[in-house]
Amino acid sequence: MPKKLLVTRPLYGGDGGIYYLFHWATIYIKFAKTKGNEVLDLDEKRANRKDLTSILKKTKPHLVCFNGHGNYDSVTGQEGEILVKAKDNEEILKGTIVHILACSSGKILAPSCIQKGAEAIIAYKEEFWFFYDRQGTSKPLIDSTAKLFLEPANLVINSLLKGNTVEESYNKSQKLYKENIQKVLASNSSEGYLAKFLIWDMVNQVPIGNKQATL
Amino acid sequence: MFDKVTEEKIKELIIARLQTIPPEVGISVGSEGDFKRDELIEHVKQDDEIGKKLIQIDLNYLRTLKELNLYA
Repeated sequence: MPKKLLVTRPLYGGDGGIYYLFHWATIYIKFAKTKGNEVLDLDEKRANRKDLTSILKKTKPHLVCFNGHGNYDSVTGQEGEILVKAKDNEEILKGTIVHILACSSGKILAPSCIQKGAEAIIAYKEEFWFFYDRQGTSKPLIDSTAKLFLEPANLVINSLLKGNTVEESYNKSQKLYKENIQKVLASNSSEGYLAKFLIWDMVNQVPIGNKQATL
Repeated sequence: MFDKVTEEKIKELIIARLQTIPPEVGISVGSEGDFKRDELIEHVKQDDEIGKKLIQIDLNYLRTLKELNLYA
């Protein structure tokens, strides 16, 4: 049965991190569409609180994927507008599975959303670090350095779309992080300096809520 | 957590390790912004929030590496 996927992906002001997350989300958007799912793409200016709230209410998506900046108690959209904040509007995510690719929101925001009825959330408890090739920013999808960080993070979404549980999707993501860490630590790699940052993201990725939930 | 001398030695080690990052690489740290290698080194020297986070990441690495059992 086709699923509804809502994606927020802001793009603004020379922010390299935001730029990469924006483009990397196109991979799972394309995958979701190929599999016959409906994608509600809140890109750029549409990644705002008003549109998000309205679309969540009207369409009740199965999966919500945030890409942007975050902190312990909130996640943001276009120009840093707060989209969801703990003790404010977490109830808008009631009944959904959520992926948050942003800093730190796994610590307070995600548990708070679960308390207010979200089904399950995969997020990061601390800052999400990633490295990219500054020479190759015109082609972010073929940046092999960024891929080491962003592919395991977004693998969660493809896995959920394939029908896996939240726990299985988290485990697949963790496995790919581990493989990438092994790859950069290999004796013939010149990217060993990335290992500590990959480990940081890996250990701070958390599944919260109903880990047996599926789309 | 550490005495002043140990803290300074840890910072020196972390700076030495950061110097292995190629200068052409960009580093995204969420809403803190985008950095270059030498900017990260400056943050460690200044002992600010980003600098402290880098120390935490380094210590986490040393602590976690064995637990991860990467070659099992």
